[in-house]
Amino acid sequence: MKAIALVLAIVFFVLGLLYGMGTINFLTKSGEAHAHHVSHLVICWVIALLCMIWYRFQTSPQPSR
Amino acid sequence: MTDLQAIVLALLQGVSELFPISSLGHTILVPALLRWTNINRSDPTFLAFVVVLHLGTALALIVFYRKEWWAIVRALIASVVRGRLSDDRYERIGWLLVIGTLPVGILGVLFEEPVRALFGSPAPAAIFLTINGLVMFLGEALRRRQQHVEGRADRPMEKLSYAQSVFVGFSQSLALLPGISRSGASMVAGLLCDLDHEDAAHYSFLLATPVIFAASLLEIPKLFAPNAHVVASQAVIGGIVAGIAAYFSVAFLTRYFKSNDLRPFGWYCVIVGVICFILSRTGVIS
Repeated sequence: MKAIALVLAIVFFVLGLLYGMGTINFLTKSGEAHAHHVSHLVICWVIALLCMIWYRFQTSPQPSR
Repeated sequence: MTDLQAIVLALLQGVSELFPISSLGHTILVPALLRWTNINRSDPTFLAFVVVLHLGTALALIVFYRKEWWAIVRALIASVVRGRLSDDRYERIGWLLVIGTLPVGILGVLFEEPVRALFGSPAPAAIFLTINGLVMFLGEALRRRQQHVEGRADRPMEKLSYAQSVFVGFSQSLALLPGISRSGASMVAGLLCDLDHEDAAHYSFLLATPVIFAASLLEIPKLFAPNAHVVASQAVIGGIVAGIAAYFSVAFLTRYFKSNDLRPFGWYCVIVGVICFILSRTGVIS
């Protein structure tokens, strides 16, 4: 699970970067493209951040019982 | 847009965003009913004005639940720093809200524009408003069945599971359809997850806050679009009116749902939806 969280975080970070640069247009509306790219960038990076938090929850030491 | 139109739209947005009657549906139907032909919903100036109204509504929600949001944000940060989850009530609610916000965040970014382009006229808005009312009746009936036939007890919102939070979040995404209410859909989903009316409304308003706030922040560039000519005084007054209306709406609804249910809003949506559909089919509104 740790590896999955890390890989997903990286994938979504890169995906957001590509949307931000306008390299990919998948599921964006043409015309007002820039604003749509920004919203896609933001949602991708939010998901990447959540994946990193998920990763942190799995890697931090648990208290001994 | 005249000053009066700006104030009416702001009032409408502030109230209908939180009442389970669909703000999007009302901002399509009311200008059509009042024959405000000078208002073009796809005009950059109008879109920029709507951004201000949403900001006002979101700020009102944040101010109303300010102590709770402060506790939630602190608990979330503490859990991330600690690297593990605890039994803290606000931390639990915070993560439920984060998980529950993801569906509408993703679906909204991907499908908001095409859905509104497809259904952004009075007839579909009236149909969905009627469906919104029927869903509230159905939700109330299912909840009574859960309680009386299946014997399920109410649970506090922090006892929701993450799967249930995703379910409530998905139901909130139905509000992308003009006429379906965000708070109505998420309240019905909350009721089906064994929340009582008060907690379902409370959770629905908390869940709506980051969505409305983030959506309006993302739309801020529209305020500065080259062909958007928002009158500053209208924008300021509109934002304030929407914020005040939203604040009093949430204050009223939190008290209302302590002892009442969704059925009056269901009747309202069905009656207004059917009337508007008939008016749109007969060409009275278009």
